[in-house]
Amino acid sequence: MQSRNSKNIPASWKLLDLAERLLVTIWPARLNKYVGWGFLLPALLLVGILLIGLGYIIEYSFHELDLATYRLKAEYSLTNYHTFINRPVYLHILGRTMLASIIVTIITLILAFPYAYMLVRTRSAMMRKFLLIALFLPFFIGQVVRAYGWLIILGKQGFVNSILTSIGLPELDLIYNFQAIVFGLIQYMLPFAILLIIPAITSISEDFELASEGLGANWVSTFRHVVLPMAKPGLVGSFVVVFTLTMTDFAMPEILGGGTSDFIANAIYDSFFQISNPGLGAALSVLLVAIGSIIVTAIFYFAGTGTLGIRQKTR
Amino acid sequence: MDQMVEIVDVSKSFDKVRAVKSANLSLQRGDFLTIVGPSGCGKTTLLRMIAGFDAPDTGKIRINGREVENTPAHKRSIGMVFQKLALFPHMSAAENIAYPLKMRRFQFDTIPDLVEKYLHLVKLDGLGKRYPHELSGGQQQRVAIARALSFSPDLLLLDEPLSALDRKLRNEMQLEFRRIQQELGVTTINVTHDQREALIMSDQIVVMNEGIIQQAGTPVDMYRNPENMFVANFIGVTSMLKGVVCGSGKNSVSVKIGDATVTARANGEEIAIDAAVDCAIRAEQIRIMDIDSNVGDDFDNAVDGIIKQRIFEGDRVLYAVQADELGGAMLHLFDHDPNSHNEYPINQRVKLGWNSRDLFAFPAETVK
Ligand SMILES: Nc1ncnc2c1ncn2[C@@H]1O[C@H](COP(=O)(O)OP(=O)(O)OP(=O)(O)O)[C@@H](O)[C@H]1O
Ligand SMILES: [Mg+2]
Repeated sequence: MQSRNSKNIPASWKLLDLAERLLVTIWPARLNKYVGWGFLLPALLLVGILLIGLGYIIEYSFHELDLATYRLKAEYSLTNYHTFINRPVYLHILGRTMLASIIVTIITLILAFPYAYMLVRTRSAMMRKFLLIALFLPFFIGQVVRAYGWLIILGKQGFVNSILTSIGLPELDLIYNFQAIVFGLIQYMLPFAILLIIPAITSISEDFELASEGLGANWVSTFRHVVLPMAKPGLVGSFVVVFTLTMTDFAMPEILGGGTSDFIANAIYDSFFQISNPGLGAALSVLLVAIGSIIVTAIFYFAGTGTLGIRQKTR
Repeated sequence: MDQMVEIVDVSKSFDKVRAVKSANLSLQRGDFLTIVGPSGCGKTTLLRMIAGFDAPDTGKIRINGREVENTPAHKRSIGMVFQKLALFPHMSAAENIAYPLKMRRFQFDTIPDLVEKYLHLVKLDGLGKRYPHELSGGQQQRVAIARALSFSPDLLLLDEPLSALDRKLRNEMQLEFRRIQQELGVTTINVTHDQREALIMSDQIVVMNEGIIQQAGTPVDMYRNPENMFVANFIGVTSMLKGVVCGSGKNSVSVKIGDATVTARANGEEIAIDAAVDCAIRAEQIRIMDIDSNVGDDFDNAVDGIIKQRIFEGDRVLYAVQADELGGAMLHLFDHDPNSHNEYPINQRVKLGWNSRDLFAFPAETVK
């Protein structure tokens, strides 16, 4: 049949046939089991390079800075880690970073959930379009630009203060403080959180909510006993993402904090580029990575790996 | 008169689709009613309005004597089993069954016993700790029905929960549902597009098409006295013959079909002479015979025909026979006893016999 119709086969099919035959000769079928690894290779390489970098950083962190030469000393020591523990400022920065991460994450999730829920469940196509556009617009505006935008709006001569003074109210210090950073971070993290929660809610068929209602639960109970537990994977996922992104953030504390409320990332930057102490910067980096990893591991441990979709198979 | 459900003139539209058009329906306490109709005819919409998930545009719904217009779904006493069951995946079977009891504030110490009782009722003793994904399809059905019943609702609604099952399991679960329903005496509305399911499970059947209730009645009534072509067609395998009235009466009419004139049953309304009619006859009411047989006293009508199609269905054979006398119309019929005589091959000429009381005549286009 193939030969009889071969004249009618589109040229593109013939090309594909040729390509396939070529492929078979240069890539025998018995090598097929390596194809999967082939596709994984680029990602593995990237992660590998990252690990090499991390290795170097860990190495650096065990060398003290020689103030005479401004080079790292050759011998190994724990000086950098001692510095971290003995200087209250670093513990303070760590505490501030953690506190901000927790506050930002919780508020972001509380704000993101109803938004995502609304986006998924609304019956109005207009509403859904509006919510989607409002969600994606911020992605086109980078973090730094956004932070400067807030400076313009919240600054001393900014939009808000000019309104306040024009109606006779005193000027407010809206920027260069902790609250401004938290505010900016929430605003920055919100779209990420929403994007991560949307699939979780989409996967909950509305039937579950109706079933719950029909069984006697009002919407509060339905939310608590059905929607929330079923959306847990998405919530935990976005918790981890928002938390780690906040914990390692640099731009918001730098710009909206103006040096008053540094996060660890700012301290790391300063160590490397202001006081030129790569050893200390490396030690701070190692600590940041370690703390982040411990927290993420703990979350996955307590929330179950089900959050990664590995264990749970819901029908 | 102890009406559990009364639906009066209920309509519902979505944008431009009129999903349910002034439906009227009433259901006695303890009865099992099945709403049957093709896909998209508005069955789910009607059920959702009864459950309280949607509000009717117009009309009234009364459940257990009370109007429910202002009663939200969670305050109605209705158990519903969804097409996709909607068992909560993060709760075990027992927790699923206990859920309505907790939500409805049943006394806490009575809950475990009730859960056990309903697990037993659906024959799932000992499986309460399993999660839905650890249960088979049939077992999940059982959990779903136990969950819908555990709080002793006034009314049980079933939205095609069996449609996803394979045929054998479906037949088994149909009987199971019926047994449970009769054991508890719970008033039930079932939705399906399987006419066989409607016939075997129900006390009452409602046939719907395009948002309109075509006919309501007992299964036997629906089968014996269809009120229009749609119902006649929907229940059973039916042949349709187009003809013209040539002699009219209240209960029987003479109809000219092709070259032949046959007598048919009319459903009470007089049909004018020369009016176009659709005649319907069920496959099981036609007898197939050798071409030279004597019809005798068993049948008062007979035509010759040629076999065009033959489908072996195991317990019976379905034939499609073209009858030239009837203007070449195709008649479908069952041979229920194919082993007692020769099978008829395709293109064989045969004789078909039937009784005029089994041939229904409806004014053409009576599909509402
Ligand atoms: N939420 C909705 N929005 C718009 N149209 C709807 C909606 N729900 C139902 N419809 C329409 O109303 C009509 C009846 O739908 P319904 O779901 O009641 O049918 P059904 O009889 O349950 O069908 P099936 O047997 O396929 O479940 C259909 O034409 C459907 O497209
Ligand atoms: Mg439906």
